[in-house]
Amino acid sequence: MPRRYRSLLQPTRLAALALAAVASALAWSRADAHVVPPERLHPVTESYRRMGFLLSLNPVLWNEVGRDATLIADGLEAVEPDGGRLYRSSVASLLDAAITATGGSGPIPAAERRATARDVFHLSTGAVIDKLDAHLALARARLDEYGRASLELGEARALWAAFEPALQAIDAGAYREHGRRWLELTSALGTPGVLGAGAVAPDRETFEREAARLMAFLDATFRAEDAAAVPERVFRVSPALLPVTPAAAAAPGLLPPGSEINKQLPRPRQVLNMAVRGVDEAETPLVALGDMAFDSPEIFGEPARSLGLSCNTCHNKGVTNPRFFIPGLSVRPGGLDVSSSFFAPHAANGHFDPVDIPDLRGIRFTGPYGRNGRFASLREFTRNVIVNEFNGPEPEAMLLDGLVAYMLEFDFLPNAALAPDGKLTDAAAPAARRGEEIFHRPFAAMGGRSCASCHVPGDHFLDRRRHDVGTVGGAEAGSRDRALDTPTLLSAAFTAPYFHDGSAPTLRAVSGHFNDFYGLGLSGPELDDLTAYVETVGGGIDGYEDTVFTLASELEEFSFFLSTYELLKARGENELLDVTFKTIAFEVQAHKWDVQDEGRLPVLDRLTEIMVEAYEARRRGDLAAVDARVAEYRALYENHAEVLQ
Amino acid sequence: MTAMPRFQGLKSLAISPPSLRDENRKTLRVVLPALLFALIALAGAAGAQEPLRIVFIAYENPDQLVENVEPVIDYLEGRLGGEVEHFAATDYAAVVEALRHGSADVGFMGPLQYVMARRQAGAYPILGEIYNGSATYVARIFVRKDSGTKTLADLAGKTIAFVDPISSSGYMYPLDAFKSAGLIRTRADADTFFKRVYFAGGDEQAIRAVLNRFVDAAGVGQFAFGLLRGGERDQVVHVAESRPIPSHCVVVRKDLDAGRVDALRDALLALNEGPNHGLLEHLYGVDGYVRVDASTYAEVEDIARQYDFIPASGSPAP
Repeated sequence: MPRRYRSLLQPTRLAALALAAVASALAWSRADAHVVPPERLHPVTESYRRMGFLLSLNPVLWNEVGRDATLIADGLEAVEPDGGRLYRSSVASLLDAAITATGGSGPIPAAERRATARDVFHLSTGAVIDKLDAHLALARARLDEYGRASLELGEARALWAAFEPALQAIDAGAYREHGRRWLELTSALGTPGVLGAGAVAPDRETFEREAARLMAFLDATFRAEDAAAVPERVFRVSPALLPVTPAAAAAPGLLPPGSEINKQLPRPRQVLNMAVRGVDEAETPLVALGDMAFDSPEIFGEPARSLGLSCNTCHNKGVTNPRFFIPGLSVRPGGLDVSSSFFAPHAANGHFDPVDIPDLRGIRFTGPYGRNGRFASLREFTRNVIVNEFNGPEPEAMLLDGLVAYMLEFDFLPNAALAPDGKLTDAAAPAARRGEEIFHRPFAAMGGRSCASCHVPGDHFLDRRRHDVGTVGGAEAGSRDRALDTPTLLSAAFTAPYFHDGSAPTLRAVSGHFNDFYGLGLSGPELDDLTAYVETVGGGIDGYEDTVFTLASELEEFSFFLSTYELLKARGENELLDVTFKTIAFEVQAHKWDVQDEGRLPVLDRLTEIMVEAYEARRRGDLAAVDARVAEYRALYENHAEVLQ
Repeated sequence: MTAMPRFQGLKSLAISPPSLRDENRKTLRVVLPALLFALIALAGAAGAQEPLRIVFIAYENPDQLVENVEPVIDYLEGRLGGEVEHFAATDYAAVVEALRHGSADVGFMGPLQYVMARRQAGAYPILGEIYNGSATYVARIFVRKDSGTKTLADLAGKTIAFVDPISSSGYMYPLDAFKSAGLIRTRADADTFFKRVYFAGGDEQAIRAVLNRFVDAAGVGQFAFGLLRGGERDQVVHVAESRPIPSHCVVVRKDLDAGRVDALRDALLALNEGPNHGLLEHLYGVDGYVRVDASTYAEVEDIARQYDFIPASGSPAP
């Protein structure tokens, strides 16, 4: 039955009123309260902020920049058709030149790249200001139509958010002054009341005065005709205008809109060998130190540290984080270019090569390390992640030992369908059994080898060698940089997507790729069977935790972190003590909003305070006070462990 | 009203032809038009052929809201046995207007808008919403933790952001908190007590104005706090809260047939538990509904009168 829809589109400032009620009723007391929701931005604001980030990278993904420029052009064209078209064509010609010069992906000279980035950013800044100005003018022209004026002012305010992070960072005073200006503008709209009752007439004089001051500021600060006239402080927070890399800037390490660094819920189930054996965690301090370091942003450098990234952000519970995404650095969720210019500019390789985040289960059996097997040692690999991928200081030997000790405890998921020798058990389904035969079948097209030749069932389904399997675009014809380390298939059913770059969404897609690449001639049903086999090998019991309530287990883990105290104190490892205290304080704060009973927040805040006090006492060398704070933390946690469940 | 269940029965026949045998279908083909005619006539006589028209207040995207509440409309059509139309308004004035002119039978609104609508349109409330297990909420005065502000009196000569001039939790009740503290007596007093009063346009804008140090305080609904992120929440604190505010309500126009009102109330109350409870997610995510009447909002009306939102004298519309 057709239904009649009507929208009385009379937007009002009341708009957010009960949204507040709804949103927060949902947000409060939920197990995922620690999950930071994305900032809600106007599409043009979002594109502008993201574009600023993209333009600061090396390489610049010009096509991504073009997508954002299109959104900005659409937004401007809606209110200023001529201006929108001019912006669109101007940016298009700049991008065309850059893309042509790079052949789509290759590098262009640094000076040229920076000049293009600067020009695109400058034009885009102007476009956003023009759009903001147009909406302010529309609001001013329609002040007597409250609904319309409110809508236009709302648009303008949402566009102002394009410049807020920069302004907040460079000039807190101006940021506040203009924040109040927007309150003046909103207030000047008055209200039509309800059918005339309670009506307040618009204050045209105030509106015009404040709007003019705002535009004057924007023009002078962000849109100087001569780029050289733009104050140096704006350069520093407008990455595309930077003559140097953003890591050297005083700007806050902001991630662009569209980024997702929250971890998945429910969490992957971590299988620690020592825990399965029932070992008393209080007596394994080196592992505890590694666990702490794994969760600690403190071991990284900027900007990862300020962004709160740790090993655990990507390898959640030692597995993967299929949601992780940063525009310009990821090609799809669950992957990241770890040799980009953003996190560790000194170690950038200058080309865009994001890798799928690998699962660390069973890592003691899966060396060599790195997608291309470039590190034989887990310890060397880990050091490289800290120092050259995330800009961290040289880690202390004991810290690296701890990380390795912790990771060596990561087991694969138990799998009833798989015998210790890698053969399927009676628990496996018939399709998987048929697939097992195909897996071991020699193919002439592979030189008489089978799938099992590389994914050796008796050796954790890998061969510790590098092979070109057609998934890497090489540097040039015939180059040998296409080879990748054979990955294990164990626990793989839980770690989609697949291949080094995550380009295969499912294991069936992986089977299909090999069939096509080698010309194996397998039929559809055979590929299904082969996939069923790999899924069975890659399966396991309870791949995810059975609860989304993680606060209690997190707090237990922080207690575990603190079990290192006596060891670190005895060894005089002051820096590691500091890292431990800061990490626990950070982690308690990051998770405290998950608490189901709001009344318990003070306990969690106190736990944080104690760690901060311990840190400060340690810094001034008051060891007795440090002892007392650690004892206090332990006692407070013990007393509340149950109620914080 | 007796026509309603029979009409529903016919509707269900019409959409399930596979269950009909050929001869039945033939009979129906003859009988159906006559039967329909009779039913329509009957329904017309009972005044029930008109669809029930619901106006929802949309806080963001009205088109999205219209689409999102579809399952609720389907449910209501099943329960009420007749067509239910719905549309979205983004302005409370439009909701009140629609109820006054009879272009809507049912609307959703806040308590202050209701008491204003009552006077102007004679509309009356039938159900109150339950959020977080409560049929009331409060307004709070938030300041930055590091501001040193401990009491409302400390805010003399300071700046404050409210939500909107026509708002229960975002203006009237926060003002009332200052009155209860003996700091102001009338709405006009606020202009002298504070250095400057702003209207930020939304709860989130108002509480963020405090967070970002644009203003010294914000008077907002309690739920505004939840719109901040974890680290941001640690920076603000409330120094006072208002008396309880009855929650938002479902309001019907004054001449809507009493039978239809009862049916609607029962249908919505039935969502409080049972298999259809999940539909509430589409109705602003409330926990459920509770019966209310005009007396529930008597105090709101009283406060509204004190602050000149409604005239101090004159009898309300019937």
